[in-house]
Amino acid sequence: MFKLALRSLIDKKLRFALTTLVVVIGVMFVVGSFTLTDSLRSTFAGLAEDIAEGADLTVRVDQSFGGDFDRATVPAAVAERIAGVEGVGRVQPEVAAINVFIIDGDGEPIRPPGPPALGFSFNPGAFFITEGRQPAAPGEFAADTATAAGNGLRVGETYEINGPLNAEPFELVGVFNFGAPDSHTGLGQTMAAFELHEAQRFFGTQDGYQEIGVLVSAGSEIPEVQARLAAELGDGYSVVTAEVAAAEQEEDFNEVVDIFNTILLVFAFIAVFVSTFIINNTFQIIVGQRVREIGLWRAIGATPRQVSRSVITEAAIVGVVSTAIGIGLGLVLALVLRAILDLIGFPLPPGPLTLQPRTVVLAMVVGLGVTTISSIGPAVKARRISPVAALTQDFRLGATGLRRRLIAGGAAFAAGVVALAAGMTGGLDTTPRFVLLGVGAVLAFVGINIVSPVFARPAASVLGRPVRALFGMPGRLASDNAARSPRRTASTAGALMIGLALMGLAAVVGESLKKTFVNIIENAVEADYYIQSAATGFGPPAGFPAQVADEIEALDGIDSVVRIQFAFGGLSVDSEPRDIVATDMALADSHFDSQVSSGDIAGGDPLTALALHSDSATSLGVVVGDTVEATFPDNQTETLTLVAVYEDAAIYGNWLIDGALWDRHFNRNDLAFASVRVAGLSGAADESQQAALLASSRAAIDDVIERYPTVKVEDKAEFRQTQEAQITSFIRVIEVLIGLSFVIALIGIINTLSLSVFERTHEIGLLRSVGMTRRQLRRSIYWEALIVAVFGGLLGVTVGTVFGVATTLALPDSFVQVVAVPWLDLVVFVAISAVAGLLAAILPAVRAGRMNILDAISHE
Amino acid sequence: MTASPAQALATAARAVAASKIYGSGDTEVRALDAIDVDFEQGRFTAIMGPSGSGKSTLMHCMAGLDTVTSGQVIIGDTDLTTLSEKDLTLLRRDNVGFVFQAYNLVPTLTAIENITLPMDLAGSAGDTAWIDEVVGATGLTDRVKHRPNELSGGQQQRVAVARALAGRPQIIFADEPTGNVDSNTAGEILGFMRSAVDQMGQTIVMVTHDPVAASYADRVVFLVDGKIVDELADPTPQTIRDHMTRLGA
Ligand SMILES: Nc1ncnc2c1ncn2[C@@H]1O[C@H](COP(=O)(O)OP(=O)(O)OP(=O)(O)O)[C@@H](O)[C@H]1O
Ligand SMILES: [Mg+2]
Repeated sequence: MFKLALRSLIDKKLRFALTTLVVVIGVMFVVGSFTLTDSLRSTFAGLAEDIAEGADLTVRVDQSFGGDFDRATVPAAVAERIAGVEGVGRVQPEVAAINVFIIDGDGEPIRPPGPPALGFSFNPGAFFITEGRQPAAPGEFAADTATAAGNGLRVGETYEINGPLNAEPFELVGVFNFGAPDSHTGLGQTMAAFELHEAQRFFGTQDGYQEIGVLVSAGSEIPEVQARLAAELGDGYSVVTAEVAAAEQEEDFNEVVDIFNTILLVFAFIAVFVSTFIINNTFQIIVGQRVREIGLWRAIGATPRQVSRSVITEAAIVGVVSTAIGIGLGLVLALVLRAILDLIGFPLPPGPLTLQPRTVVLAMVVGLGVTTISSIGPAVKARRISPVAALTQDFRLGATGLRRRLIAGGAAFAAGVVALAAGMTGGLDTTPRFVLLGVGAVLAFVGINIVSPVFARPAASVLGRPVRALFGMPGRLASDNAARSPRRTASTAGALMIGLALMGLAAVVGESLKKTFVNIIENAVEADYYIQSAATGFGPPAGFPAQVADEIEALDGIDSVVRIQFAFGGLSVDSEPRDIVATDMALADSHFDSQVSSGDIAGGDPLTALALHSDSATSLGVVVGDTVEATFPDNQTETLTLVAVYEDAAIYGNWLIDGALWDRHFNRNDLAFASVRVAGLSGAADESQQAALLASSRAAIDDVIERYPTVKVEDKAEFRQTQEAQITSFIRVIEVLIGLSFVIALIGIINTLSLSVFERTHEIGLLRSVGMTRRQLRRSIYWEALIVAVFGGLLGVTVGTVFGVATTLALPDSFVQVVAVPWLDLVVFVAISAVAGLLAAILPAVRAGRMNILDAISHE
Repeated sequence: MTASPAQALATAARAVAASKIYGSGDTEVRALDAIDVDFEQGRFTAIMGPSGSGKSTLMHCMAGLDTVTSGQVIIGDTDLTTLSEKDLTLLRRDNVGFVFQAYNLVPTLTAIENITLPMDLAGSAGDTAWIDEVVGATGLTDRVKHRPNELSGGQQQRVAVARALAGRPQIIFADEPTGNVDSNTAGEILGFMRSAVDQMGQTIVMVTHDPVAASYADRVVFLVDGKIVDELADPTPQTIRDHMTRLGA
């Protein structure tokens, strides 16, 4: 007797532990992401103050949109006027540029994996020399301590630096800490600092400055000087205090932190959602197993209310325990994530972990909410159990009817799809969009989960057929058991389905993107060689020195070079920032076929010409010949004339202007991309002559590229390959991250299988008594898990493919044009879920094998 | 020991000084106390005794569902105490049949599938003609495609006996096979077991508390406190009752 009691206690302990673990994972993600991002925010706030402390006031040109590095410069003359204002002590003009790569002693460019490679004029207020001295003459530079130490840069040595314009050698004369004298506060970016005029020359910022730092003279009041400066400079300039500058910095940092937070929260959301399925399932089974016990309670006078309350109480206990553990582990997760970020090249400044009350409250909402909400359904079923159940041998819980399932599930699914569609297409802000998408996805999945038991039984018997055929009686029992409780099979599979559906979605969209890209390269691109930054990774595309294009253009045997520059929010029309591409419009048409539907890209004045993708032209309501008022980040407005409308946005994006117009409004000189056409190919006598021409020009280009380690050249095939590889690895990362939900689904399968094995204890004893070997028993449990997992896998992959195709169709043509389904990937996903199912079955199978036959037989 | 002509028959199973001890020290329970017993081939033996006397323990140890603490248990020529867990399982599958008091059937399998379960587990087709005969004898030929929950308790027990018979085991053990059914149904089940012994030559050992049930057997063995205290050949309900009263006194 005692043995039996102990045994059932152990069973309950395992169930309790597994259920708790499932909730813990969700809570852990929520706490981990908020704690990490809160900690980052508070560290960044300190960092931003440090940075801004260098100057009392900062003068710069007003900017209402566009990138930081596209801000118009303050002319040197204005700097002189500033110096003349009463109360101004010292004036510290500054210039900065991105894509300034130091080449280390081995000839390898020092490339931060995510953060930018930055160049500055040396600013004594924020840069603190720790070794050597500050750069004071042409041909000298200083590097930050982290970059110097991490790459073995030595003071006194000369290093090549690739700037926005060209590559030049510089002598390292000093090493500095950024932000504070005794500690470097970098975020993984590399920093090269030059003497002011040298920086202007090397970056190509002409004679202007990005910012002018002002230190007020002793005895002057900062607000008064600020007011005087504002009056002196007039409209178009802003004069901000250190506090405001710090706040702006902080906001910039926080934008990055927010993206990070959103990503983490999406995973937390998936984790929590998957856990809800599993907990609901667990409680359903528990109530099912306790029917007789509950019937007995009812018979001896327990009210239905007391019964349902007892179920919810059990859930609440799980919730409380897992919230507590989840908060603890969440803090650990935050530390681990910080360590991982550090490892992959985003060193974060050290600082204490910040656990805000808000985070704790959210953790409780998630932990307790998920468990109690998932126990409501089972609690309602429990209260409906009649006292007669105690007496009836084979009492089953009422199953929801087929019709009701179809109607309820269909309605939830339809509502979900509507919400998803609205979220995807409506012109919404980020937050409501995410809420809509989240709610839509949840409703769609819940709908599928409600409906799926309807086909769980047929699916299980179809999937079970080969298992029966191949594995005899154990296979037969496995497939019967999988089909036995369609609801249970469906919701166990459901937990797997969610992860797989999301992976399938990512795979389909990714494959479509890839195919679209390949098509473009095949059809739209006519150039022979492509020049771009050799940097790979997930950061924004790095630029490369403009000089590279000039040198290639000057080579013998080159017909033409087309330069492409790019700016996020590079101009504003109707007060909305638009991303722009600038190129040589007269030549571009001979390198790329962007399927011009009206007008002529080459057919306008470069200084006023604008070409649009048909989507943008339509939404603006303009046709070729119309004019558009466009404002640039330097606050100047130009009247542009639409010269062409094109259908293929792959190269040009939606907004295309000429490089001449770019040069008028931008100080950024580095190129995003360049294409090369080899001369004389069409006039060549035969293919071997063509090949010879291509080979000789390639050799010449390679000679140029060799001097710029940050740049690479590719022909059409290579270009295609690297682009494909890049998309593929990006998709893989997303899939792996989503795959985390597998771990939770795995626990769900372990849980469900353990419970159903426990439920079948008597039957297992019986089978063993008539001669089923342990091995046969274990196998039947493995095959059962396999059937359930493959069912979940197929369901998930199907749902994912449908959603993926829908998403691809809904996305604008400028983004994806081809719908492609990566069949092989989908098969692999199903295989992965089959393996996951088998892994999950190990514990329950071993436990079943170890059962004592006589104890099992005496178990009801 | 009462002299009986059946003693000349070969032994299907035998226990030699078999003891089973549960627990140790103060809580030690001697469920079987150095029992010696033979079960002859082709005979129907009933085992009776008060609750807790060790009847089920004897059945379990004889059938290879449990192991004795000391002594030997022999089925045919095989000493069960020398077998590994796996060989015990195979012995149960191929050489022993067992009928429990209730819930003998796997709910997901039909009646006929339950009957052929041991053969299916062995991956063999079994002797189909024999199986047909067994099924015919149960009187359930038209219900073999039904699942257990569509059969009455008595029908389920008959299916369980049929399963025990289907593999032609050396011996069948039944632990209170009629304990859960009314007397009419019990009669059907017992009649079926009796005919299996008479017409198929099967060896059956059955535990029961009911003198009427025991009277279907050729021989009754009485167990008290883990020891065999008496036995009776060719019993009738009345002679059994007399014996029981005597033992109780
Ligand atoms: N697993 C066990 N652990 C400890 N003691 C046990 C165990 N199984 C049986 N016993 C004890 O062994 C003795 C014999 O039990 P057994 O079940 O064989 O009796 P029984 O004759 O079948 O009784 P009943 O007529 O009630 O079925 C009893 O005292 C019982 O308490
Ligand atoms: Mg008993």
